Amino acid sequence: MARPATGDRLVLSVKHAKQIIVGLVTVAAVALLLTPARHPEVIPTGRTLVRYWGYWTGVEADAMQEIIDSFNDTIGKDKGIWVQYISISQSDQKTLTATAAGVPPDIAGVMGDQLAQFAAMNAIEPLEKMAAEHGITREYYKPVYWDACSFEGHLYAMVATPFVVGLYWNKQIFQDRAEQLRAAGLDPDRPPATLAELDRYAQALEVWKDGHLEAGGFFEQQPGWWREHLYDWFGGRIFDEKTGRLTLDSPNVIQAYDWMQSYSKRIGPAEVSRFASGLPDVNTFDTPLQPFVTGALAMMKQGPWLANSIEHLRPAMNRWKMSKQEESKLPREQRKQNYMWGAAPFPSAVPGEKNAGFAGVDILVIPSTARHKAEAFEFIAFVNRQDNMEKLCSLHCKNSPLAKMSGSYLANHRNPYIEVFEELAASPHVHPVPPVPIWPQIQSELRNIAGIIVQDVGPQSSPAHLLAEAQVRYQAELDRFNARRAERRARGLLQ
Amino acid sequence: MTRTDARQLGKGLAFVSPWLVGFLLFMLLPIVLSFYYSLCDYTLLQPPLFVGLENYRDLVHDPIFWQSLGNTLYFAALTIPSALFLSLGLAMLLNVKMPGQAIFRTIIFLPSLMPIVASAMVWMWIFNGKIGLLNNLLSKIGVSGPDWLGSSTWTMPALALMSLWGVGYTVVIYLAGLQDVPRELYEAAQIDGAGLWSRLWNVTLPILSPVIFFNLVMSIIGVLQVFDIPYIMTPNGGQGRSTEFIAMYLNDNAFRFLKMGYASAIAWIMLLIILVLTGLAFWSSKRWVHYQGK
Repeated sequence: MARPATGDRLVLSVKHAKQIIVGLVTVAAVALLLTPARHPEVIPTGRTLVRYWGYWTGVEADAMQEIIDSFNDTIGKDKGIWVQYISISQSDQKTLTATAAGVPPDIAGVMGDQLAQFAAMNAIEPLEKMAAEHGITREYYKPVYWDACSFEGHLYAMVATPFVVGLYWNKQIFQDRAEQLRAAGLDPDRPPATLAELDRYAQALEVWKDGHLEAGGFFEQQPGWWREHLYDWFGGRIFDEKTGRLTLDSPNVIQAYDWMQSYSKRIGPAEVSRFASGLPDVNTFDTPLQPFVTGALAMMKQGPWLANSIEHLRPAMNRWKMSKQEESKLPREQRKQNYMWGAAPFPSAVPGEKNAGFAGVDILVIPSTARHKAEAFEFIAFVNRQDNMEKLCSLHCKNSPLAKMSGSYLANHRNPYIEVFEELAASPHVHPVPPVPIWPQIQSELRNIAGIIVQDVGPQSSPAHLLAEAQVRYQAELDRFNARRAERRARGLLQ
Repeated sequence: MTRTDARQLGKGLAFVSPWLVGFLLFMLLPIVLSFYYSLCDYTLLQPPLFVGLENYRDLVHDPIFWQSLGNTLYFAALTIPSALFLSLGLAMLLNVKMPGQAIFRTIIFLPSLMPIVASAMVWMWIFNGKIGLLNNLLSKIGVSGPDWLGSSTWTMPALALMSLWGVGYTVVIYLAGLQDVPRELYEAAQIDGAGLWSRLWNVTLPILSPVIFFNLVMSIIGVLQVFDIPYIMTPNGGQGRSTEFIAMYLNDNAFRFLKMGYASAIAWIMLLIILVLTGLAFWSSKRWVHYQGK
């Protein structure tokens, strides 16, 4: 057989290459078409599938999955319901888009900050009727959490998990700086009880080196999650529910932000900025750089879950005097001495007021166009049953939203100071997110103001000036929102 | 039209139909709808309420819109010229025949392949005011570096500096353009006594001007829509909204404040600004862009 010429060989090889590529693509396409869809979860026949979208991942999602599994094995089995949890990022935005498209999940797990906005737009289902049918009433909850789930007198959500914000203090740092604290007339064996005292403690606990702040006493910017709620510790309100008007420039709100700015005035904005730059940003929490864990801050505002975080990031702080085994032999009250840290209510600026502040919630809502509302509520009610809620809150290391708590829940909670948070949550001086439909805009503005006033202490950046501007702008925004809502109602576009 | 022509047309349309349907459904329809929504109060969750030009009127009086527009233009003014000069300079250096040329080219291009989030995280550490690499290096020469990402003054220059990290793509385009410069022009210029700078100014840049123009237009379009880097590196628009860009403000209005109509109006204003700036670039190109063979 004659050998093909070089040109012929090239043509042949190109032809072969083409055949090989086409063959491979065909095989891949056929394989794809023949591969059955993946069903990681087998849904028993005869069950109504309830889709639950949430933003929890990792241990938080695992904890909820335990509750879901328990539901699917018990009530779900009896009533023919199967709940499927789908963890998605930005579940709020995706729920909104899916709701607009008419294909929402049956349950959405979102932040409590969005409740008023969603409810005012009829995006979520009122739940009070279904709740009443399940015997769930206001009395079942700590009032602040019932309020956090309500808008204009209707219940629109139920609690997934709640939290309340307290003050953590590092006992070791207090001991290390005992001399300075005593010199300032302060007791190193207890946390501050008043706001004025907190400022004095903060100053006495600061460590300066070569003109730079090396370690702080207290820093409102850390973790920076509740800067828009600071007025809650000053007896301030940013919304008057009776008149429906914003009160952003009311004296107590201004006082709150004046206090925030006072740290920059004392320390200097440049030094505040320099010190803050070494700390994690607002989106980072569970990091080895966490300042309370590293000792960069002696006191910090946080929720009950910090105990969990400390156990994960620096377990030695939870074994200060003895091993866990030895600790378990002690009565519960004495176990606290084994923790390098303590928790207390963050002091209120209002004289004589105890247990003040902010309480937040992760909520479960049913989108208004959901297909299986009754089935979805069965699961939501199951989550809110005392045993399940206590289990979930224990696993998430949060306080309970319920008025009643079992002894075992309190005794076995991972945060030895859980009673502090439970008392806080039950206090009449603790407030939820204000029920303003344009809250996300106001929240953004208040965070912006907080950012400005700690960087600039000039007259143009005075809280009074900035809050007065914000009041005018956002009152107009709220008025317009309400006017358009009324117009939609008048035209029958909104129920 | 003959039957054969009709058949040919039918086949042609059938072949382009996936693109055609995709374009109509996912490009043209959203464009038309977004213009309509820009004239409405639309929350996604309720039927749109026609409000005429009110969204556009509100934009004129919205200080955050103006601040975010100013931030975007400031960022553009910082990054477009610096990226153009840097990438051109690097391309010229990488065009010089030397050992390891391919390795250097790869190194310059490599950052462009990194996912944005990963490079943003790396740069957040570099810019850390207290323990960051940059301030550490500055301290070696006796300079106390600022809090790059926490200070409203320094955040924008920091973001601009970081954006230069991804000039690899532009460098590759310039390198391709440099291959097109006829060698005989350099030789002729050299015979005429032209030095290095003269050859650069009179030969390289004029021949490369269409590529520079292309990169300029692409930069204008890209920079005015910048979103991901500031969104990751300076959450919530940075201190005092110092890094709130127009695309971020649009996103906030659409998905956080549920003001989809207002966000659509911002999108159309953005388009208008990009059109005007690109138009200006085209208008000025008559004076400085030289096409070979013309």
